[in-house]
Amino acid sequence: MDTKWKNRKNAISFIIFALGVSMAFGGMADILKNKPSRVGIWQVDELFEEDYQQNYRFQEYITGCFWNFLAMAVGGDLQTSWGYGMDGDYYCTYYGDEMIGGWNDEWEAYQDNLDDMQDIYEDMEEEWERLLQEGAYEEASAYREEIDAYQKELEDFQREVYIVQEYGYKEPTDEEKKKTAQKYHDRIKGDKNLLYTISYDGETLYANSEQLLADGKMTAPKGYNFLLYFDGEKVRIVKDGIEQDIYGDGYYREESSWSDGESARWYVPGYVNFPVDESIKKVRISIAAAEEPVLYMEGSYDAVGYIRYDNSLYWMYDNCRVREKLLENAAMYVVLGIAMLLVALWGRKSRRETEAKIAAIQGRIWIECKVILFLGLLAAVLFFMKSSNYGYWEELSIAFCYDYEYYDYGFAYGLADLPMYGREILRNTPSITWVVLFWGIWLIVNDLKHNKKVWRKSLIGKLYKTFSIKSLSWPFARRMAYRSLSVFVIAVFYALLVMGTAFWRNGSYRNEMALGFLAVIATVIFLFLAYLMGKKNMETARDMEAISDRISEIRNGNYTGIEGDFAGHDLQNVMTELEDIRHGMEKAVEEQMKSQKMKVELIANVSHDIKTPLTSIISYVQFLKQEEGLSEHVKDYVRILDEKSQRLKNMVQDVFAVSKAASGELPMHMEELDFGKLLSQTLADMEEQIKSSTVSFRTDIPKEPVMIMADGQRMYRVFQNLFQNAIQYSLAGSRVYVALQADGNGAMAVASVKNASFMEFDKEKDFAERFTRGDKSRTDGGSGLGLSIAQSFTEACGGEFSWKTDADLFVVQVSFQIVKK
Amino acid sequence: MTERKAKEENMGECVLVVDDDREIVKAIGILLEGEGYEVLKAYDGLQALDMLLVHPVKLVLIDVMMPKLDGLSALMRIREKQNIPVIVLSAKGEESDKVLGLSMGADDYVAKPYNPQELAARVKSHLRRYTSLGDIHTRSRASEIVNGRLLYKTEEKVIYADGEAVKLTATETKIVDLFMRNLGRVFPAEEIYRRVWEEEAFVSENTVMVHIRRIREKLELNPKEPEYIKVVWGIGYKMEKQEKCN
Repeated sequence: MDTKWKNRKNAISFIIFALGVSMAFGGMADILKNKPSRVGIWQVDELFEEDYQQNYRFQEYITGCFWNFLAMAVGGDLQTSWGYGMDGDYYCTYYGDEMIGGWNDEWEAYQDNLDDMQDIYEDMEEEWERLLQEGAYEEASAYREEIDAYQKELEDFQREVYIVQEYGYKEPTDEEKKKTAQKYHDRIKGDKNLLYTISYDGETLYANSEQLLADGKMTAPKGYNFLLYFDGEKVRIVKDGIEQDIYGDGYYREESSWSDGESARWYVPGYVNFPVDESIKKVRISIAAAEEPVLYMEGSYDAVGYIRYDNSLYWMYDNCRVREKLLENAAMYVVLGIAMLLVALWGRKSRRETEAKIAAIQGRIWIECKVILFLGLLAAVLFFMKSSNYGYWEELSIAFCYDYEYYDYGFAYGLADLPMYGREILRNTPSITWVVLFWGIWLIVNDLKHNKKVWRKSLIGKLYKTFSIKSLSWPFARRMAYRSLSVFVIAVFYALLVMGTAFWRNGSYRNEMALGFLAVIATVIFLFLAYLMGKKNMETARDMEAISDRISEIRNGNYTGIEGDFAGHDLQNVMTELEDIRHGMEKAVEEQMKSQKMKVELIANVSHDIKTPLTSIISYVQFLKQEEGLSEHVKDYVRILDEKSQRLKNMVQDVFAVSKAASGELPMHMEELDFGKLLSQTLADMEEQIKSSTVSFRTDIPKEPVMIMADGQRMYRVFQNLFQNAIQYSLAGSRVYVALQADGNGAMAVASVKNASFMEFDKEKDFAERFTRGDKSRTDGGSGLGLSIAQSFTEACGGEFSWKTDADLFVVQVSFQIVKK
Repeated sequence: MTERKAKEENMGECVLVVDDDREIVKAIGILLEGEGYEVLKAYDGLQALDMLLVHPVKLVLIDVMMPKLDGLSALMRIREKQNIPVIVLSAKGEESDKVLGLSMGADDYVAKPYNPQELAARVKSHLRRYTSLGDIHTRSRASEIVNGRLLYKTEEKVIYADGEAVKLTATETKIVDLFMRNLGRVFPAEEIYRRVWEEEAFVSENTVMVHIRRIREKLELNPKEPEYIKVVWGIGYKMEKQEKCN
């Protein structure tokens, strides 16, 4: 399969998987978050209950109202009322006097008063005892009455203070109670979602609707489908025209004993174990709730512009619809997510590849980074939780901190409530948090699954490896490594200190002073150490420069000794060793030069020693040749002697020339000359020889001068040899081609001599090798050094010499750089 | 000039041959006696100096490497007293050796193994100049150009080698005239052709070379290793200006 397509397929299947998981998970979290707390997610029909009246909160609200109405009917105390707000939360409203806080001035005033009164009481007791001791009994008994009255007053006040301290409010008077009740009535009467009529002994006390009478008819006005009626004995509820069973088996049980799914018992009197007492026998209460509540408001033109009535039912209704919508959305996400997961099931294999790829990327990340990232993720999750649950979070932390009954505003906290708070916090956290958390954990699992030994790739490990000294055995290298390590460690400490100073800024003044002092000292030490190390490193750098200079000088053939003192430096050893190498090389080169010189000298001496006897031979052969009257065969011998002695002479001269040229001791007279003219002149010089031979020459030499730098005399020798070779070894009647051309880019002038050999070439023969001859058995006057001399001389002049054979064709090329005018 | 005539001419000229190799001395002796010279033989430098004291030697042929006193030292001792031609004969044929020998006062330097004919010709040339011509410089006039063994009289357009007139063809004379009037100057073949033949050159190299070769055969002692008319390879031809004019 095409790799590109495969990669694309892997990515797509992974994306489907990731989306599916995220949606299913997030949707589920959303459902859990938004579902009514007393409904399990399996209770699907209740989850999507459209009737807000089926919610337990409605029951609680109606019950709360009922109890308030009871209190109002009998003129009891009415302090707080639970309502239901726009955001779906309860709120508590106090309709009585301002509550007295725990430790405020008013409380202290009470306490002071109490203390004063107690002091007065004690003083009076003392006075009474004094009177008794003085014997003023009548006065004492009169005073005793006064004391008792004051004691009663004190005790009353003590109870009052106790109530204030314990419950935060004081017992209101009947008038105050009535005022509170009226206030409450004013507050809720505009909310026509809830109609009520409260009557006592046939007299209607409070009502917000003419349509609803407390007469026990059990018919709700139009638009109201819920009706509760209290007839002084029992509570009856009609919903949608159907009478509801309220009392069940007639016993009221607390919340904890309810079985799952069982709807809550109405907390109203009339149970066998919760009978109606005498005080409320004459009370009649009717309550009706709207089927589809609306928001009721009233203009308030002197202040905020409008007043919203209680509207609890409306908010309940509204929230119920909102929740329903939310739940529907969440359910859709879950279904979609599960569908995607099912689709992703089909591409499991390619998803595994993608997972492996992700793991490979993860494998490249330091473990420290991963830990920090995960901790950061957890912190972010906690932050989310906290920011969306401020109140609960506070309470939870209080519960954690004080594992005892802690009282404030009448609330009690304790560890026992932890599950409740935890659940609330989890419920209120945005569901995206859980998705993020899930993927964080998924990444960890993926990493652990694919990467064996995840801790291997760690910053600490890398640092250890970078600064590991174990593998170094050279003392200088170890020193260098130690130095680097200590620089790093010092830098780390310094950085930590600087960072500490920066982060502890909000410490006390003394802290700042100490830290600043420390920072100054650390900076000084750090700079000092940095200077020391820098100085040492600079010294080493200079030595390295010197060494590298030395090496390049030695490479260029300069073997003079080293200047400078390296004693005590890091690179002292290296310097000494380099000096040894230099010395060795100097010696070797000297030896080589000496041996080369000796070789040339040896050849010079040998050739000299050969020349002396050769002179005699040539001289006397000459005399023999001039001798008259010799018989023919003797003349033949003399001719052979003459030939051979001449050949020996040439050979000695050539050997000497080649050895000199090879050793580079040949004196050269380089000048600018015309390559073409050189060839023409050489050909002209050898004209007679060419004419007398069996071959003919064909030349292709340009008229324009082709200037080169060379030694003319040597180059004449080169071409003389080449032409001689061509004459000697060419097939009889064949042609020798001499050509001069510029090569491709016109930088080089190439002279070529081509001739057809009269015999077959031995392929492995190196013709320029000294003493190599085309024909071993041939006994002409050549020394066999012709090509060798040609090559040596050409190269000594700075040219290039090459030859090749192609079948019987022998081609020699001599090329020189063209000198541009 | 016949051989016999030459022998008679050379008769009585005393030549000293010095070499530690007796066979070479003998061979040179045979060679020069054949030319009609009186040959004295010495086998080391000291012996040669002794003989010079006693005999009226006109020319010395001396080897370089010899026992007792080497050739160059002997040469220096000879030069202290005498102005006779000295030809150094050595197995060392290097350019540097030649320069050394000539700078020590030698009149000529011949490398071993020598060519007998060339050696004889050189001996003859030096003796002629020494005995019959004397010091050329003193007699030179404006119309005469002297270069080594060569003397060119510009008015007559005649060239003398070792004091002897050399017969040249008209073209050859023109070439020699060009060279002698411009000693040491290098002429490309085209220029020579243009100035001598007085027409544009097309294939000049060979034509010029043929004439030069003929002139060499008439002027040079050894035409294969010319001393006067030289090829400057890759550039042209020239008449070498001889430093030594005696």
